[in-house]
Amino acid sequence: MNCLLCEQRLASIPSWKSLLAVEKTSLICENCSKSFERVDIKEEGDVIDQITSIYTYNGAMREYLHQYKFLQDVALAGVFANELRSELARKDAIVVPIPMHPQKKIERTFAHVEEMLASARIPFKDLLIKTNTEVMGEKTREERLSMRNLFAIKPGSTIHNTTYILVDDIYTTGTTLRHAASVLKEAGAKRVEAITLIRAEK
Amino acid sequence: MTKPFNPAIRDFLDGRIWLRMHTPFTSEEIDALIDAGHIQIIKGIESKPSFLNQKRHLCNRCENEDSSRFTTFHCAKCEGPCTYCRQCLKMGRVSSCTELIVWNGEKPQYPTNHTIAWQGTLTPYQQKASDELTDSQNKRVSHLIYAVCGSGKTEILFPPIHKLLTEGKRVCIAAPRVDVILELEPRLRSAFPNTKIEAVYGGSKPTMEASQLVLATTHQLYRFLHAFDAVFVDEADAFPYKADATLQKAVKKAVKPGSPVHYVTATPSDKLLSEMKKTGVVSIINRRYHGHPLPIPKFIPLWNYEKQIRKGKLPRKLIDWTKQRLANKEPFLIFFHHIGLMEEAEPLFQLIDPRIRSVHAAHPDRKEHVQALRNKELPGLLTTTILERGITIPNVQVAVIGAEQQIFDKGALIQIGGRVGRSADYPTGDFILFHNGITYAMDEAKTEIDKLNKGGVRT
Repeated sequence: MNCLLCEQRLASIPSWKSLLAVEKTSLICENCSKSFERVDIKEEGDVIDQITSIYTYNGAMREYLHQYKFLQDVALAGVFANELRSELARKDAIVVPIPMHPQKKIERTFAHVEEMLASARIPFKDLLIKTNTEVMGEKTREERLSMRNLFAIKPGSTIHNTTYILVDDIYTTGTTLRHAASVLKEAGAKRVEAITLIRAEK
Repeated sequence: MTKPFNPAIRDFLDGRIWLRMHTPFTSEEIDALIDAGHIQIIKGIESKPSFLNQKRHLCNRCENEDSSRFTTFHCAKCEGPCTYCRQCLKMGRVSSCTELIVWNGEKPQYPTNHTIAWQGTLTPYQQKASDELTDSQNKRVSHLIYAVCGSGKTEILFPPIHKLLTEGKRVCIAAPRVDVILELEPRLRSAFPNTKIEAVYGGSKPTMEASQLVLATTHQLYRFLHAFDAVFVDEADAFPYKADATLQKAVKKAVKPGSPVHYVTATPSDKLLSEMKKTGVVSIINRRYHGHPLPIPKFIPLWNYEKQIRKGKLPRKLIDWTKQRLANKEPFLIFFHHIGLMEEAEPLFQLIDPRIRSVHAAHPDRKEHVQALRNKELPGLLTTTILERGITIPNVQVAVIGAEQQIFDKGALIQIGGRVGRSADYPTGDFILFHNGITYAMDEAKTEIDKLNKGGVRT
């Protein structure tokens, strides 16, 4: 097997964990995984009760995200499976991915957050729908903060008085996650946490 | 009754295999030409059932068949399992539900009046090789020009290329590395001033013209199909071409069926040499164009250089050699086997002269630094093997640090030595192999250079 990012041959070290399929074998080489920089931010807030981000948005991460989302390299969905699972596995809560607009999803041919969760074998529920096609990356901070709510509860689903964890790829200003969290809370969620793979500089 | 259409679409698409959704034209124009039968649609990925419910896939753009280079996922667009090719992903994803298009209509007519503005004359050796190459092209058989570094390989190609162009034929010069293409482009533009020439490499802007002479990296030939009457592969033994079967296939599919692929190199692999002896013709030149011998490598031990550099100390011999070059005002290249080591050495060299820089494949200023060395704005460069071939800098002096490393095989060392003494004004120069032990590759390289200088060649 070759590293999915640099195509170098992977030196696989057999371990009990990988033999028993507790840990998924890494899809990328040690050099590439070293190029990603952990940040491990945990913040408390009122709309989102707790937010966790795993990595910084450095050059290597920018390239990864470009290849995954824009070159549509679905194979990269599992690169951070172990990291995502260790953040999400032990939590007794309902995992909710930030959805894409259906039209955008067809254009990209896959929903990038859902694919990440699926390849990490984390069960999740699609409880939200996106109501417009606007792209966050094209907006200024002021525009983002003044937008009306981006999400609605998916028709036919019920929100319980329990904890929900939102998952998204990147946290920049937090607008997306705050909108999603407030919709869930209005519908009756007790507590909403969030996990993002990346924390970008504001 | 055929409706008129935008000829730019024909000129752009002829000989290319392109993503339907990513042309520089409007989809209405493309759709109309598909309806009229001028453009043919080809499925992106061909999947055939194989044993045990497995599928065998073929990418119709890069002809990749390696099952580990395909990924299948549930596609939201075609609402089912969809397979895409990771081999040529960076050129825009080709998947099962992607359509490729090729030009199927009337072919563009290429002009037949071309001037050759090159002023030089070929040496008798060059002339002989050039005539043999033209002869092979007429017979449509493959030809290998096996010529030492600095023998004027590019000039040998000029007469056969000119002949093809004046016959209205389309020609491609392909090379595995973009540096070679960038160096060739100005030389060919000035040699053929009236010819439409296009250089195609990652990041180049497509011209909307029917370019008759195409200079392309071998990667870019993934996107050509039956386009050329001849392809000349320069530096046919360079990485990644020699190790990548899909690039070799790409070159073969870029020529029209029955048209030949020719090879030009100073260090042919044994495989290429024996293949060409069986199925093609080989011309050998063992003299540089200026008639001077190839520089002989000098082995100088540099024990534990890696440890010393990692500790922040540059070996004395290296400092002395570098200072000597600076004192003589001679440009120099110092080759490293590893980027990490080179980057640790860079600040140490900058203590000798702050203008010394390093370059590697992914270096953002690689092009600029090499140009600055040519313009004598920089005294010298530290480099990985990326600059081992294709570059000509008058009076350049060369040192290899860690010549015993595996990456410096015989071919690489001969190529590196080939940078030295290329110009008639400075036909000699230093070619030092600093080593931590002599390898077979180093010995073989020296033996072969000796043999070439004496007039013999490996047969």
